[in-house]
Amino acid sequence: MSGAVDLAWWQLAVAGGLVFVAGGLSVALGLGIGRRLAIASTRTVVQLGILGAILAPLFEAELAWLVGLAALVMIGLASVEAVRRTGRRYRGVRRDAFFSLAVAGGSTALLATTVIVRVEPWWDPRYVIPILGMILGNGLTGISLGLEMCLEELDDGRERVEALLAMGATPREAARPVARKALRGGLVPILNSMSVVGLVTVPGMMTGQILGGTDPMLAARYQIMILFLIAGATALGTAGVVLLALRALFDPRGRLRLERLARRRAAG
Amino acid sequence: MELEARGLTVSANGAPLVEGLDLDVARGEVLVVRGPSGGGKTRLLRRLAGLDPGTGGEVLLGGRPEGRWDPQSWRAEVCLALQGAPVLSGTPRDWWDAVRALATQRGRDGEDAEALASSWGVEEGIFDRPWSELSVGQRQRCQLAVVLSRRPRVLLLDEPTSALDPDAARAFERSMSGRTAVWVTHSAEQAARVADRVLELGA
Repeated sequence: MSGAVDLAWWQLAVAGGLVFVAGGLSVALGLGIGRRLAIASTRTVVQLGILGAILAPLFEAELAWLVGLAALVMIGLASVEAVRRTGRRYRGVRRDAFFSLAVAGGSTALLATTVIVRVEPWWDPRYVIPILGMILGNGLTGISLGLEMCLEELDDGRERVEALLAMGATPREAARPVARKALRGGLVPILNSMSVVGLVTVPGMMTGQILGGTDPMLAARYQIMILFLIAGATALGTAGVVLLALRALFDPRGRLRLERLARRRAAG
Repeated sequence: MELEARGLTVSANGAPLVEGLDLDVARGEVLVVRGPSGGGKTRLLRRLAGLDPGTGGEVLLGGRPEGRWDPQSWRAEVCLALQGAPVLSGTPRDWWDAVRALATQRGRDGEDAEALASSWGVEEGIFDRPWSELSVGQRQRCQLAVVLSRRPRVLLLDEPTSALDPDAARAFERSMSGRTAVWVTHSAEQAARVADRVLELGA
């Protein structure tokens, strides 16, 4: 591996100049996104700067518990973000999202490091952290969409569910169409990106590996693995969060308890 | 008594609308429930159907309290036809098939819902058209037909003929003879025709 050409902060400032071009456009055309652009650019620099600063010692320390802690924080942040995007919530929705992401992301990332790539030790942060990050970053979109669709279908389609309940259906039977629709909805983004990947876009991780000096064919194989991992984790995580949401919104007597749902405007 | 309620409280959003309500419906009897809008008639039916949680009192079927039935069996026996005939997914036949599948799993047979509906003036072919293309009156009759076809022990009807013309309403009333029901209606004439007894809420 030859490694990437060094990129200093002053060099980044040149790329940052492009943001000013976008800002200038916003002012000239009255788009009114200047403020958001400034905040988003600052967040990009600060968040990634912190990430880099955290990862360096994390990779060096090579402590299993530290890797575990980092993974937990990542899953926690992903679950907060997944719930932030939904327009409806119930008590415990963050816990359900956390649990789904932990099981789906954790099991697929472990599968990758123990069975597929077989790194030594299996918790090597250089592999676990980026792989888990890719899985969570994409998986949370699916989980968030699936959750949103599930809650929306129950709320707006209450009568369709209750019409079946009233005929003696179990919650599972009555909510099956809801779950099916939510699961399908959650999987749409990853299916779309798997269909066009390589045609329209060179995926971010593959770009990174190529810039880092990896053979493009090997980089392609890693990217394929990652996409499969994401697909698996998204399916697992979405199914998990939908089942947990249904569990939370039906009571033990099989009644749909929509008063447990709080409606709000979704965050952007 | 087929269906009994003792000391029932019916609330909306935590505020009680009806308190300490007792009611009895004998087999083959129609109990008509009347009362002002927002007076808790729909809530009462949902409570009897086991779709809303109760805050007070108890409901019994054949002398056995609701809590000792498994909820699915209760709702198959004390069966609510939802108010206003909502647009469901697919066609009436899809829904009838789904409901029939539920009943078959539990070893129950039923009547021909399509024949019932056509006896109330539903034209041929309606069962195979999407709910979204049907008029309220057509939806109402198709849904009632499926509910009646299951022959539940007690029918809970929430203004079942609100969207039907007088002939269809009369035909529906005739199909109800011999069935046990709690029947919410605004029409005094209909109440006079079908009621064995009348319960006035908020009176």
